Amino acid sequence: MGNGENITGQELHEKVVESVTAIKNGPKVLNLYMDVCARCGTCAEVCPVYQGEPTELRNPVVRSDFIRGIYKKYTTTSGKLLGSMVGASDFDGDMKKWVDSFYECTGCRRCATYCPFGIDNSVITRKGRAIADATGYTPDTMKKVVQTSLDTCNTDGASPEAFKASIDFLEEEMKDEHGVDIKIPVDVVGAEYFYVPPSGDVLVNPEATTGIAKVFYVLGMQDKWTMSSKCFDGANYGLFTGNDGHMKADNKPYVEEAKRFGAKYMFMGECGHAYRIMKMMMEKGKWWGDLPFKVINCMEWTADRIKEGKLEFDKSKNPMPVTYHDPCNFGRSCGIVEDPRVILEAACEDFRDMTPNRGENWCCGGGGGLSAMDDIRDFRMKVSSVKKMEQVKATGAKYVATACSNCKRQFMQLIESHNADFAVGGVHDMLSRSILINGKAAERVDWEG
Amino acid sequence: MNDYIFMFFPYITLLVFVLGVVIRIRAWAKSPQPGKMTLFPATQGTEVPGVIKEALFFPSLFKGDKTLWSFSWIFHATLALIFIGHIRVFTDFPALWAALNINADNMSATSGGIAGILVMATLILLLFRRFFVGRVREISNLADYFALVLVLAVIITGNMMRFSGHHFDLELTRAYFSSMLTFSFSAMVVPADTIFRAHFLLVQLLFVYIPFSKILHFGGIFFTQTLVKQS
Ligand code: SF4
Ligand code: SF4
Repeated sequence: MGNGENITGQELHEKVVESVTAIKNGPKVLNLYMDVCARCGTCAEVCPVYQGEPTELRNPVVRSDFIRGIYKKYTTTSGKLLGSMVGASDFDGDMKKWVDSFYECTGCRRCATYCPFGIDNSVITRKGRAIADATGYTPDTMKKVVQTSLDTCNTDGASPEAFKASIDFLEEEMKDEHGVDIKIPVDVVGAEYFYVPPSGDVLVNPEATTGIAKVFYVLGMQDKWTMSSKCFDGANYGLFTGNDGHMKADNKPYVEEAKRFGAKYMFMGECGHAYRIMKMMMEKGKWWGDLPFKVINCMEWTADRIKEGKLEFDKSKNPMPVTYHDPCNFGRSCGIVEDPRVILEAACEDFRDMTPNRGENWCCGGGGGLSAMDDIRDFRMKVSSVKKMEQVKATGAKYVATACSNCKRQFMQLIESHNADFAVGGVHDMLSRSILINGKAAERVDWEG
Repeated sequence: MNDYIFMFFPYITLLVFVLGVVIRIRAWAKSPQPGKMTLFPATQGTEVPGVIKEALFFPSLFKGDKTLWSFSWIFHATLALIFIGHIRVFTDFPALWAALNINADNMSATSGGIAGILVMATLILLLFRRFFVGRVREISNLADYFALVLVLAVIITGNMMRFSGHHFDLELTRAYFSSMLTFSFSAMVVPADTIFRAHFLLVQLLFVYIPFSKILHFGGIFFTQTLVKQS
């Protein structure tokens, strides 16, 4: 982890206290969360991390109290007068403890769904991470991802040439599958739809992108969409390190690119946190003022076309039991829960839901950016994912579809470390394998899953 | 001397309580918020009914922890009834009772008695839970126990007035509060009943404590739930 080498103990203490007391001036949500918690323990009962292996430091309230205690001590009269009687405490100087704990919360917001007050401990987690970031304590793995993304506009540090090579490869693949030219347009000014996937859906699990290309092809809209050779990764780790400045800086080129294309729709791919930032934060919060385009999501768009009867499938191409893992950011945070199911029901023979699902779904254990941190892989494999693995196993599914690169990475590692006999992939991946192009589904038998 | 405490403290208590609550709630209301944080699935336009439902029936808690929900909901609902029942200490509604053909004293003895036991039992269960359930014990600090014990003391002294066999003089108490409400200090007679005095002092301590404590969650819930509901 970052070790904050440039800061003395006293400076650290001052910065922490200053940053915590600043909560007094907002946001409202943190202000309330400092005061309102009834300390009932329900959040721990539903938290994937605490349920994976209960330890005191994994209790959401214990973690949130790192900040709440300082807030009470320095901003409230009662805290100053009555101290621990009202739950006030001082910063103990142990920033490493903070970082370890705040990077054990997956930011899944499951606690908020069940808390009688709707208290979302992930907001406090993000505040804790922001303080760690401001004092130089962000784990190195995360720092690197953020920096790479700020430098290159994608979290893999891939060049436009590498991107274009991948796109060429995907077009060839589709030609092999269907015998026709299915295009993935790049850098087309004037396109209506600007497709922004996670880079993983081009470089690692590209079937989601071919699925989307096929939908546009079937609809006769090949010339209506485009990708950008500069902005092809909606992932934005500023959300995870708590650094708003980084989050906005990372976001800006995408908005500018959409404007440059003159796009009507910012067409978000299968990436939960990218869609949440674009839709719920950037667009709703008017970061860049009024926009000439609307943020939409590929799953709602495809699901609507299916409902209109415009797409046809050969389900026998996907005969195995398939389940859907709701990425927390798509489900609980954006409400995209029915659309992926519409697509999977249409594209697969045997779709089965896991329990619980939708807004109550258990996190994969890699949320909040943790999926990218191999330094805590053991924790992700053995603690934060326990509930998820139980759920998936109970369905008997052989393929877990999910609309998030981070969830996919977590699942791939889980499959490997648990020798599990299921595969993981995207939602449009299933569509790509069974959608009919000129009456025929893709000719291919060597699917990995 | 003792009597003076009972003549003037209640005003101070009320002032601290009202001011304290208003200041806290104003701070919440004025604090800026960049956007909503809706939890899905949610239906558009369900913000207000959703928040009211949460405040009245705790549906989120019901989904999360049924045992706690039952203790907690019975506790809060009964407490609310008892709170309303206390109006009779200040005033009476003979016309209403006559119209409904009810003997108010009997009714209050039965329903108030049951409520007093229920609220005490559920509070003791909550206290036990805080002590014996690991995930709750690790987040419990002095303030959490203090709040429970204080409320328990209020409830126990309240129940003592009803069950300990000693006579609680409702008429006298009502006269005391009515002179307090009309600021008639010369006519004010403080009931000598020690249990009543203990109960009333504890209640005042509770009310003074509320604005500075998490007990204000009964106000906070409207704000926190609004943030996560769909407008
Ligand atoms: S469920 Fe909500 S009120 Fe209960 S302890 Fe957790 S955050 Fe606090
Ligand atoms: S956001 Fe998720 S991981 Fe974090 S405390 Fe809440 S339930 Fe636990």
